[in-house]
Amino acid sequence: MSTSEPLLTVDRLSAAWGAVPVLRSVSFAVAPAEYFVLLGPNGSGKTTLLRTVAGLEPPTEGRVLVRGVDVTGVPTHRRGIGLMFQEPALFAHRTVYENIAYAPLLQRRSREDVAEVVGRMVGLLRLEGFEDRPPTDLSGGERQRVALARTLAARPRLVLLDEPFASIDPEVKQGLRTDFRRVLSTLGTTAIHVTHDREEGMFLADRIGLLFDGRLEAVGRPSEVFSDPRTARTAQFLGYNLVGSGDRVRAVHPSDLELRRDGDEGLPLTVEGVGPVGRELLVVLRDDEGRRFEARTDAGLGDLRPGSRVRAVWSRSIGLPSSPNG
Amino acid sequence: MRRPSRDLAFLLPVLAFVTLFALVPVAWLFFRSVSAAGGAGALAILGASANLRAVDNSLVQGGLSAVLAAAVGYPAGVFLGRYAWPGRAAVRAFLLVPFLLPSLVVVFGVLDLFGPSGIVTGVVPGLSWLGAGLPAIVVANLLFNVPIVVLFTAVGCEGSSRALEDTVATLGGSPARAFLDVWGASSAVGAFAGGLLTFLFSALSFAPPLLLCGPGCYTIEAQVWFLDTLGLEPTAAGVLSLAVVLLFLAPTAAYLAVLSRLRSGRRAGDRPSVRPLTLAPVPLALGAETAAVLLGVGGLLGAVLYRALAPAGGGAVGSAWSELFAPSTTARLGISVTGAVGNTLFFAGVAAAIAVLLGIVSGFALVRRPRRAGALGLVLFVPLLVSPVVLAFALAEFWRPLLGGESTVWALIIVSQASLALPFALQSLALPLAGLGPAERDAARGLGATAWGAFLDADLPRVRDGLVTAGLFAFALGLGEFTATYFLVTPAFTTLPVALYDLSNTRLVGVADAAAGLLLMLSLAVFGAIALGGRRVDL
Repeated sequence: MSTSEPLLTVDRLSAAWGAVPVLRSVSFAVAPAEYFVLLGPNGSGKTTLLRTVAGLEPPTEGRVLVRGVDVTGVPTHRRGIGLMFQEPALFAHRTVYENIAYAPLLQRRSREDVAEVVGRMVGLLRLEGFEDRPPTDLSGGERQRVALARTLAARPRLVLLDEPFASIDPEVKQGLRTDFRRVLSTLGTTAIHVTHDREEGMFLADRIGLLFDGRLEAVGRPSEVFSDPRTARTAQFLGYNLVGSGDRVRAVHPSDLELRRDGDEGLPLTVEGVGPVGRELLVVLRDDEGRRFEARTDAGLGDLRPGSRVRAVWSRSIGLPSSPNG
Repeated sequence: MRRPSRDLAFLLPVLAFVTLFALVPVAWLFFRSVSAAGGAGALAILGASANLRAVDNSLVQGGLSAVLAAAVGYPAGVFLGRYAWPGRAAVRAFLLVPFLLPSLVVVFGVLDLFGPSGIVTGVVPGLSWLGAGLPAIVVANLLFNVPIVVLFTAVGCEGSSRALEDTVATLGGSPARAFLDVWGASSAVGAFAGGLLTFLFSALSFAPPLLLCGPGCYTIEAQVWFLDTLGLEPTAAGVLSLAVVLLFLAPTAAYLAVLSRLRSGRRAGDRPSVRPLTLAPVPLALGAETAAVLLGVGGLLGAVLYRALAPAGGGAVGSAWSELFAPSTTARLGISVTGAVGNTLFFAGVAAAIAVLLGIVSGFALVRRPRRAGALGLVLFVPLLVSPVVLAFALAEFWRPLLGGESTVWALIIVSQASLALPFALQSLALPLAGLGPAERDAARGLGATAWGAFLDADLPRVRDGLVTAGLFAFALGLGEFTATYFLVTPAFTTLPVALYDLSNTRLVGVADAAAGLLLMLSLAVFGAIALGGRRVDL
C-alpha cells in the first residue's frame, strides 16, 4: 500500500432509491495500487456505492474524486473506472479475444497494440487456448477471468469488483481469488472489491471497510479491524459472539469459547446444533435470553446433541463500547 | 422418464383442427381453382389489370403503413421499454386497445377525425385529404398498428442486458456505442417485427379500402372478396387466393423468425432492463414523441366515442341510439342489433374457448418437446399465413357442400374465428408456458401427488393468468372480427361488426356512429378486464 495522494476519494457520498436512503455520507480514500475490500451484509449499500463511484447512479450528496479531481458530474464512459459485476456480462456473440479487445478497439489503439494487450491479459489470466471460443462455451470461472481481462484491457485507473465470485463453485473460487489478486498486484491496478463473504474479504484486502445500512462503520487493515471490531455490529459480522449486556458487551471469538459439560462456572447455554467442520466441531447454541452463539472446538465433549446443556467460559475477549445493535 | 407418444398425443387435437379447418380446405380451394382455370387461365387471372392493381395496392399500402408505423412507433417503444415512469404499466395496457379493436371502428375513427364532418377537419380544413383515399387508408393502418410497433420495440429493449450496457459504459463506450453494441439491435428487432406485422395487416386489410376509398384502392384481400361475392368469379377468386398466400409467405415466415428471435431475448422471470427516467434531452424527446403517439391513438378512440354521443350535423344523441335498436334498423339489417350483439358475444366466446383449449394443450406439449416446437409451432401458425378472407373463402367452399346449407354458417364462423385467434392465443400462452420448469411438478410428485394432481397444483396456477389473458384476448379478437365473418355470414347470424358495415353502407351516419360506439365500448370492456387484472398480453 502506498502512502501517496489517494487515487480515489469518496467524500460524504449519499444516495437514495426514491425516498429511501441507501448510502449515508460515506467517506473513505483508496491509495494507488491498493486492494480495498468493502464488506457488508446484503442490502447494506455496497453495490450502490460502486455504481455511484462508477457514475452509473447519481449521488444525492457528496463527491467522488479521482487523483484529487472531482468526477462526480463526469459521465461513466469518461471516468476511466472499470466495473465488473457478479455476472460477467460478456458479449455472447463475440469470441473471448473479441471481448477482451473491445475496449482497446474503442480507444482506437493500433492492431498490434490491441493484439499485445489481449495477449498479455490472456497470459495473465491463464486463458490460453480460449481465445476463439464464444463465452457460452466457458465455465463460470472462465467467464469471470474473461470479464476481468476485458476490464483490465481498458487500462482503467481503478477497477470496481461487485461480488465477482458470488456465483462461482467453492472449489474454483479460491483459485480465482488468488489469480485476481496476483493479476491486479502485477499490473499495479487499484481495486475496490465488494463482498459479503468475510473470509474472502480478509484474504484479499490490503484494507477493508465495513458497510452497514449505508454507513461505513470501520476501515483499516484486516488484522486491525478483526482484532478491534469497535462496534457490536462489526463484531457480529466478523463472526464474534457477544456476551454481556449494556455498556459491558464483549466480543468472544468462537475459537475462544470453551464449552464445559460439568460445573457451575460460565454462561449457561443450550445446544441447538452440532456437526464436524473439518477437524473441528462447530456447535451452535443459544443462551437463556435467546441470543445465538457459535463455538469451534476439538475437545472431546462426549455426546453433545441438540438440547444438551453446557456452560461456556472464555479466556480472551474484546471490550465493545456500544450495544449489540451497534 | 417422459413418454414422447403421450406428449405428441396432446398435439393431435390442434393438428386435427388446423388440418381440417385450414390446411385441407385451403389446399382444396387452390387445387380446385387452378384445375378449373388451367395453367394459362390462372396466369391470365393473375395478369388481369384489376388483380395486378390489387397486388400493387397491397404492397403500397402495406409498405407505406409499415415504414410509417416503424418510424413513429420506434421512439415511443424505446421510451416505454427503457425507462421507468409513472403510469408506464397503464400506457402499456392502453396501447393494446387498438389491436383489440375491430378494424371498422378504426376506420370510423379516421372518418370522425378527418372525414367531411370530421372533428379535426372542422378546425383545420386543410387536413381533409387525410380523410379519403390512400392517405386515409394509411392513417387508419398507422393508428391501428403503431401500438404494435411500440410494444414490440419495448419488448426488444427489455430483452437487452442492463449489466452489459453498464459494462460498456465502464469500458469507455459512449451511450451511442452502448446503443450500437448492446440494446440497439434488440430494439430494432422489435421494431422490425412490429413493422412486418404492420405490413401483413395493412397489405391484407379489408375494411379500410372498402370504406375509405373503394375499388381503386382494393387490396388483394378485398379483391378476392369482390371476385367471389360481387363478381361471381369463384375460380378467379381461388387463383388470386393462392397468389395471396404465395405473395405473403416470405413476409409471414420472416415475421415468425423475427418474433422467435425477439422472444429468445426475453424469458419468463427476466428482470426488465429499465432505468429511472432522468430529465436529460434524449428521454425527454422520447417522452414527447410517446405523448404524441398516445394523443393520436387516444384521439382516434375519443373521436369514435364523441361521435357516438354527439352525432355529426347536430342530431339528437338519443334519436341515433333509439334508431339503432328500432324495428326499421332491424328490417334493414335482417336482425335486431341486440341479436347481432348476442351473435357477436356467442361466436367470440365459443371461438375463444376453442382457441385457448387448443392453445394450452398444444402449448404444454410443445414446451415438453422443445425440439419439435419449431416445426409444429409453424403448423399452428398456418391461420396467420392464410389471410382471413382466404380462410373464410376456403371454409365456405369446402365445408358448405359437405355440411349443407345455412344451418352450418354459425359453425363456420366460430371455426374461422377460432383459427384466426389460435396463433395469438398461443403467443399469449407462450411466455407463461416457457416459464414452467419441472421443479415444482417434480416436487409435487415427490410429495405424493399424481401426474394429474401435480398438473393441477404445480403447473396450472402458474399459467392461470396467461390462460385468462389468452382467453380475453381471443375473445376480443372475435368480438371485432369482420373480414372472415363478413364472407361467411347470413342475416340470421349477423354480428355487430357486420351490422356496422351494413349501416355505414346505408348512409345512416348517426346510427352507424352509435353502432361503432357500442362496438368500441364492448372492446374497451374486454380491455378493462385485461388491464384491471394487471395482466400483460404478449403479441
